[in-house]
Amino acid sequence: MKKIAKAALAAVLLVGTSLSAVAVERGGVMTYGRYADSLFLDPVLNDANVDIWILSNLYDTLLLPTDDGKGVQAGLATEWKVSDDGMSVNLTLRDGIQFSDGSPITPADVAWSLKRAANKDNGIWNFLVSSIDDVTTDGDKTIVLKLKHPDPAILAALTVFNTAILPQKVFEAAAGATDADKAKVFAEHPVSSGPFVLQSWDRGSTMKLVRNEHYWGKGEDGKPLPYLDGVTFEVLPDDATRILKLNSGEIDGAEFIPYSRVEELKSAGNLNMELFPSTRVQYVTMNARPQIKGKDNPLSNPKVRQAMNYAVNKDAIIAIVTHGVGKPLTSYMSSATPMHTGDKPLYAYDIEKAKSLMKEAGFEKGFDTSILVLAGNQDEIGIATALQQMWAELGIKLELQQVDNATRTQQYRDGVFTMREAAWTDDIADPNEITSYFVYSPTIDALHTGWKNEEADKLFDASQKEIDATKRAAQYARIQEIYNAQGPIVPLYETPYPVALSKKVHGFLQIPLGNNFFGRAWLDK
Amino acid sequence: MQNIGSGSLPLFSFVLRRILQMIPTVVFILVVTFVLVRLLPGDPASAMLGDRAIDADVERINASLGLDKPIPVQFLYFVKNVFTGDLGTSIALKLPVTTIIMQRLPVTLMLTLMAALLALVLAVPLAFLAALRREQTADAVIRGTFQVGLSMPVFYVGILMLTVFGATLKWFPVGGYGDTFADRLYHLFLPALTLAFSFSAVLMRNLRSSIIGVINAEYVDFARAKGLRPRIIMTRHVLRNALISTVTLFGLQIGTLFGGAVITETVFAVPGAGRLMIDSIYGRDYPVLQGLTIALAVLVSLTFLATDIFQAWLDPRVAR
Repeated sequence: MKKIAKAALAAVLLVGTSLSAVAVERGGVMTYGRYADSLFLDPVLNDANVDIWILSNLYDTLLLPTDDGKGVQAGLATEWKVSDDGMSVNLTLRDGIQFSDGSPITPADVAWSLKRAANKDNGIWNFLVSSIDDVTTDGDKTIVLKLKHPDPAILAALTVFNTAILPQKVFEAAAGATDADKAKVFAEHPVSSGPFVLQSWDRGSTMKLVRNEHYWGKGEDGKPLPYLDGVTFEVLPDDATRILKLNSGEIDGAEFIPYSRVEELKSAGNLNMELFPSTRVQYVTMNARPQIKGKDNPLSNPKVRQAMNYAVNKDAIIAIVTHGVGKPLTSYMSSATPMHTGDKPLYAYDIEKAKSLMKEAGFEKGFDTSILVLAGNQDEIGIATALQQMWAELGIKLELQQVDNATRTQQYRDGVFTMREAAWTDDIADPNEITSYFVYSPTIDALHTGWKNEEADKLFDASQKEIDATKRAAQYARIQEIYNAQGPIVPLYETPYPVALSKKVHGFLQIPLGNNFFGRAWLDK
Repeated sequence: MQNIGSGSLPLFSFVLRRILQMIPTVVFILVVTFVLVRLLPGDPASAMLGDRAIDADVERINASLGLDKPIPVQFLYFVKNVFTGDLGTSIALKLPVTTIIMQRLPVTLMLTLMAALLALVLAVPLAFLAALRREQTADAVIRGTFQVGLSMPVFYVGILMLTVFGATLKWFPVGGYGDTFADRLYHLFLPALTLAFSFSAVLMRNLRSSIIGVINAEYVDFARAKGLRPRIIMTRHVLRNALISTVTLFGLQIGTLFGGAVITETVFAVPGAGRLMIDSIYGRDYPVLQGLTIALAVLVSLTFLATDIFQAWLDPRVAR
């Protein structure tokens, strides 16, 4: 009923031509400086952004995200249709598609890959496709997903890295007794379905990808994608070194430029300083339980949380910490997340209102509290120090507790932390992932804060099965209204992905979910 | 009877004794490491899955790693595996720990070795020069320069070297690690020089004051009175005696040099064991952490052994 899309080729061509007026050039290897190396190249069993954000170059999915990261377009499937009752999805595979070893990509590979992704015992991403009950094939081109319930996010889920299509025969032939063992062997030399193939991987140093000669995509010159002969990732953990190497021409691009250097590189003129729109949000989480370790917790009072929100001058923090790169949040989810609502910054700075809320809550004189700060992380220390000064206006004495990440995670998961800083990026072009973690109490107690709102929980349950887009948008508008007013966080800012590229580089894209796409990148000769 | 082989026998039994002493040291470190990594707050699954982990996933993964078993049981498995040469599988990298260590440790060894050699090349002649021209301009300049080297943090010296010799002059690559052996030596030169800078300052100061002490000793006066050539006096009498305390210092500082390598490897993007160590601490990658600590404990013990042997050769009284 909902969507019938055709001719993905046209869509790809359209995007391609809108990117550049100059004719593309083919060949060359693009070298890209990363802040950390990948860990494990299995789409289902990985658990880190260092893997997720490059996996799309190796493994293709049935559908692909659009460049703005909000919609879907054709990938390995050229047609897709959700049934009227929302209980099944029919997909048609593209003609003549092959894996990097030249073998055909069959409906059986697709069914096997999707079932593996949905298997509860596999990895931590299966919740994204938990609605899939069964996957069947019909003939040599058709795949049918049978769902347990209508799932409004199922098409978006088919663009996510964990639903990538792998060659069943090659994977199963890999040595090892269990799926996890086979994955370890397969992921060392994966057979790809995406634009590139892994050629070599020197752990902690360099990863070399070369073009997949069997990739289906066509460039704007009508010849097969990718334009590049290969991509080489260099692991350069030190920010200053990464930028030096880019400036000296030894690499063509560098990710995670520190905010403090963005303006400098923009005005330098020898590079393109890109700020790709992102779903990254920065916030402070507040434990909302009445008691923490047997002691009364003032943060459990919604008025106290509101007062603390009003007392934070977000513009000042954005200026200090992000050097003006960030924007104030207008909802707990980023403005790049589908169904985001809100057009004005949350809790604009108002110290008088903050003071009167504290008085109403019975904390006129303030109280002592603490925040966990990631030791050695300049951004977190900067934010915490600013909060300390701003909340002192309310008589709140904030103690900074510097800890390492694993220690913080432990206290967080045990629900015994008082406050902590955190950042989030979406993995799916849908508001359900962030909302499940931030709002919906059954997932992780609303960011382990113990906060719970019956109405929001019910709305989320309903929205997960609502296939009427208008009704679902209304549900999300209400969830955001509730959470933004009473929720257990101090929303601080959203930031883009700062990537610096040599002027030679064209067509490189990082979508709001963070995925780096080299498939349509090309270099001036 | 007691005179036969008296030249080498004490040295031999001395070395044997020192090797036997290494065994309890390494075992002790093995136990301490095993316990300490588990006393750190957090567990591998939480560290790996991060903030989004749900309880079921954390429990499932910790169980698959055998971490749900009591610690004494885990320790028995660990000891059994170590004695069969199996250090386990990295939790984060999903590769055998021995494979990872064999990839990363030689890089750090090469870096440390180059740094130590560079430090000696810099320190020994300059210490002589400074000692012989004591309180003169040359002495002041040498000591002043090394004082600067000693007071600047390693990461700063590193960035400075990269900016000047890498990005600006383009004599060396701006960090990274090459493909061939020669290329790797080329890539490692600047990081080694960075490490050598502060290391040689320590050595130079120590050696300079020892030389000054030795030069005034009676046996040097005697050698001079015998009419020995100055070069012979310098190498056979002064250097040999002055080196004794510097060799001790050199051995002790190798451990510090490794600590410096952690920072240097990050700044210069060298894929060595230092960075691996930091990553495994943050990731609570117990098997890698344990394996790496054992490997390092053995290496440092071997360095101490080599230092002792060299010292015993310089000063045979040490071996008695």
